[in-house]
This record gives sequence, C-alpha cells and structure tokens, in this order.
Amino acid sequence: MEQSRKIQFRGPMKWGELDPNRRRSTHVGMWAWLWQRISAVAIIFFLGLHITRTYIPIIQFLLLITVVFHAVLGLRVILLDFNLINIRYRNSLLGVLVGLGALIFMIIWKGIY
Amino acid sequence: MSKALNSRRLVKIYRYDPSVGGNGHFDQFDLNIEDETKTTILDLLIRIQKTQDPTLAFRYACRVNMCGSCGMVINGCEALACKTNVSDLPEKCDITIRPLNHFPVIKDLVVDMKPFFQKLEASIPYFDPVDESMEPAVIRPDSKERNLIGLATECIQCGCCVSSCTMVNYHENYAGPAALNRAFTLLADSRDGLYDLRMNQVLESCYHCRTEFNCTEVCPKEISPTRAIKYIQLLALKEPRRLKRQNLLKPIHEEKTSGKESLPSADSGCNWLIEQHNRRKFLKQIIFGIGTASALVVGGVIAAAAIGPSLKRIPKRLVRLDKLEAFPVGKVSTIVMNDIVPNGFYKSEIKKPVIVVRRSDPDKIVVFNTSCTHLGCTVHWDESKKQYMCACHGGAFDEEGNVTAGPPPRPLDRYAFKVEDGYLFAEVV
Ligand code: SF4
Ligand code: FES
Repeated sequence: MEQSRKIQFRGPMKWGELDPNRRRSTHVGMWAWLWQRISAVAIIFFLGLHITRTYIPIIQFLLLITVVFHAVLGLRVILLDFNLINIRYRNSLLGVLVGLGALIFMIIWKGIY
Repeated sequence: MSKALNSRRLVKIYRYDPSVGGNGHFDQFDLNIEDETKTTILDLLIRIQKTQDPTLAFRYACRVNMCGSCGMVINGCEALACKTNVSDLPEKCDITIRPLNHFPVIKDLVVDMKPFFQKLEASIPYFDPVDESMEPAVIRPDSKERNLIGLATECIQCGCCVSSCTMVNYHENYAGPAALNRAFTLLADSRDGLYDLRMNQVLESCYHCRTEFNCTEVCPKEISPTRAIKYIQLLALKEPRRLKRQNLLKPIHEEKTSGKESLPSADSGCNWLIEQHNRRKFLKQIIFGIGTASALVVGGVIAAAAIGPSLKRIPKRLVRLDKLEAFPVGKVSTIVMNDIVPNGFYKSEIKKPVIVVRRSDPDKIVVFNTSCTHLGCTVHWDESKKQYMCACHGGAFDEEGNVTAGPPPRPLDRYAFKVEDGYLFAEVV
C-alpha cells in the first residue's frame, strides 16, 4: 500500500546525544586522537609564552611536556599508517609510546637542569 | 555465575514516534532476567514487545549474527542485539539501548540505512574479473594474498562501524569504514579488473580516517576497517603514477552506457567523483600554497639568523677587569674576564682568562688574549722559562708575545685597554 503521508524521520544522532552512556564509546584510540589535537593547541600557546618570556622553568617544563606528548602520539599514527606495527597491538602501543615519551622527557629535563 | 540468575534490570530504550516528531525520549522497562548468560539484548526487546509495549520498533531477522539488521547502540557501544548477552554488560547496571549514530531515525531503534548502502555502492563493491574466461579463478586458501584479505570479506553490513566513527559526522563525503573495508577486499584481489576505477573512488575517503580505531573496536565480526583503510593508502603510495595517469571521468561514462546497473548511480557516485577530482586539485593548490609560504617564512628566519649578526656592527665594549693595584708591577698576572654579550633574546656570559703584564719601566701595560694563535688552547706563563707556553701543541711565546717555538702562525693577540678611575678596562670587539 502506498504511504499516504510522508514519514518524518528524526535527524541522525551525531554523537549519541541523549544517551547517558555515550562516553563509554570513547575508546583508547579516540583518546589518542583527541589528546593529540589538544596538545597541538597547547603547544601553540606555550610556544608563544616561551618566546615572549624566555627561560622561565615552568613554561619550559610545560612546553617540553606537550611537545614530547604530541610527538609520541604522532609517532603512533606514523607507525600505524605505514603498517610498521601490527594493529593488533594498537592499544599497548599507545602505552609503550607514552612511557617512552616520559623517559625522553626526563632525560631532556635532567640535561637542562 | 550464580549472581547472574534471576536478576532484575532496568532497560532504557530510546523511543521516537514519526507521527509525533521531536527529539525522542527514553522509556524504562523493568525486567526479571532468569539467566543473563543465556539472554541476549534481542531477547529482551522481543519480550518487551510481546509483553509490555507492542509499539516498540526494532529490526532483526536471523538472530544468529548473520544478517546485520540488529545493529544498535547498547550502553554506549555499537553492537548486534543478537550477539550481546546481558551478562556481557557490567553487573547490575541499567541497560541503555538506542539507534545507531549518523543515520536518520525512522522509528524507535530503526534507522534509515540508505546513506550506508549508497556509500557502499559508490565503492564498487562487486567483483569484475580481469579476464573473461569461463573458468572460475582460483585463489589458494593458503596464499599470501588470501591471508592478507583474511576475514575482511565477512562484513555483514550492520553499520556499527559507521555509527562509531566520529569522522563520518564531520566529512560528508567520507565513504565510511564498511565501504572502505569492502573496497580493500577487492583492491587486494589480483583477479579483479576494476582496480583503477575503485581506487579513484575510495582513495580520497581514506584520508578522512584519523586512526581512532573506533570501527575496529565495535565490529561484531572482528574486522578492522582501519587496517583496510591503511592498506589502501599504502597501495596508493606504491603506485602513485597509476593514479595520475587515470582519466578520472571517462570510465564511469563508458560503463554507464554499457548498462551495468550496479554501478554507482548518477546522483551518488558520479557527482561524488567529479567533486572529489576538483577537491583533489583544490587541495593540491592549497597544500602547495601553504608549503611555499611556510618555506619562505622558515627560510627567511634562518637567513636572517645566519646573515644578520655579521651585517650588524657590534659596538666595542669596555669590560672591567680589576683595580689597577691588583696587578703588581713587574709581574705577569692572569685574571678571568667576565664579559656579558647580548645575544638575540638573552644575554650570555662569557668567562675568559686574560693575561695582564705590568712593567715598571716605563709604566707599561700589555693585556694578552690567552688563546694560542695556533688552535686556541689557553697559554700560561712559565716563570722559569720566561715564556708563554701552550700545552696543546708545544707553542711558545716570549715576553712580548712573539713566537719562539712550535706551530703558532703569529704573535699572541692583544687587547686594547683603558685605565679609568683606577680601574683597568679591556676593549672587546
Ligand atoms: S565492518 Fe564490521 S561493523 Fe562494519 S558493517 Fe561490516 S560487520 Fe558491521
Ligand atoms: S538478527 Fe541478524 S545479525 Fe542480529
């Protein structure tokens, strides 16, 4: 039978609005993606501070930590993009890389101060 | 698990009535579940529909994870209702069920899958053999190629991956994980004849992927569309020439007139392709523009930093050494000169020893630079030999700083100096 009047669809849900549980779908990889964007903005901010007020330890600290963090997340994407790491290990890869970043950070920081 | 027996669960189900419209809301149902390990979410839905609310709408067909109609979002994660047991969810927590993201909602949990199948169609999801021979082509199950494709062919088009991907929301032309996964299975297949066409259809979409792995996490068939997307990108990298040579628009028209009906339809596929082509051109120009601009800026900064200092005339500075009395007459004394040099944004402090010789007759002062004129080691005064000695290569200078032995090419350098208010200043350039 022909539909007599047009059915009114509800527009697509975009990110599970209304759903109290929607944050449960934020998987590890998505956090990695999100934090890389956040750290990118933070780098611009701290870099500006670093240039205008040179050699202030706290600014150097924050800049270095965001740069290192951003870099390891970028490394993750490179490794996965070029299939250098089996995607089976995608979640542990993140942990390893962030740990590596913390180590690099500590070495550089010790080198400066 | 004894706890999972005879448990009560509050089930919240999203409701949307097309005749009412609006935003929709959640209805609550209280259910007693006899054995959570043997009850699927689909069972709950059927029970609610039979015993509590016959107007509840949802899709299902096979009940055994084969048809892909029952994809929905259960407690925030995309899943098949018939594959998810109640015991898979955290104990005692309420159950929230809502329709998939990124698809228009028709009623309750039923969504309009048209965008999904349009995009799947645009990725040319069927096989077209290279040679027209009637013999069935053989791919050995243990071959490298077959293993690479693996279980990616098992997709049941449930739409879970598309719903989980946040990028589908932001990029209207993004084909989505399922379509790209399908394209991958055929692109990796050596028997297939539509490689170039398909590649041009889907490659652009692959760059919308942000490596979030949401699709991989939720796929009920444990396929990784992310892997498929990365593989297509690698294929394109390996054969960039082949892509460029393509006449992007011709094959579609040819195929169309030849009347194959399952090709991308005019509205979804072809416009999409033209748009992609233009977009690719536009993106290229933009990237070239940004690249040139940033190269100029970076180049400029580096050039200014490299050439700048030598162009600027650095004024002579007078550096205070010490009170004149601190240098006994007739003696050779060594003192560390503390020079502060302005350097870009900051000031650097240079500490450098200098030798001051003060003679009685007449009252004559010489300030020597302690760097050996050979290779710059620090020279020191040897009282017994009455010579300045350089320990590095055996250079020696007499009291006047002239070379007496070793490789130094010229006498020791001297600083001009000044005496003011009883202080001795060295003039540094
Ligand atoms: S790839 Fe997996 S999640 Fe996506 S449509 Fe196919 S079966 Fe469903
Ligand atoms: S009912 Fe067929 S997959 Fe769930």
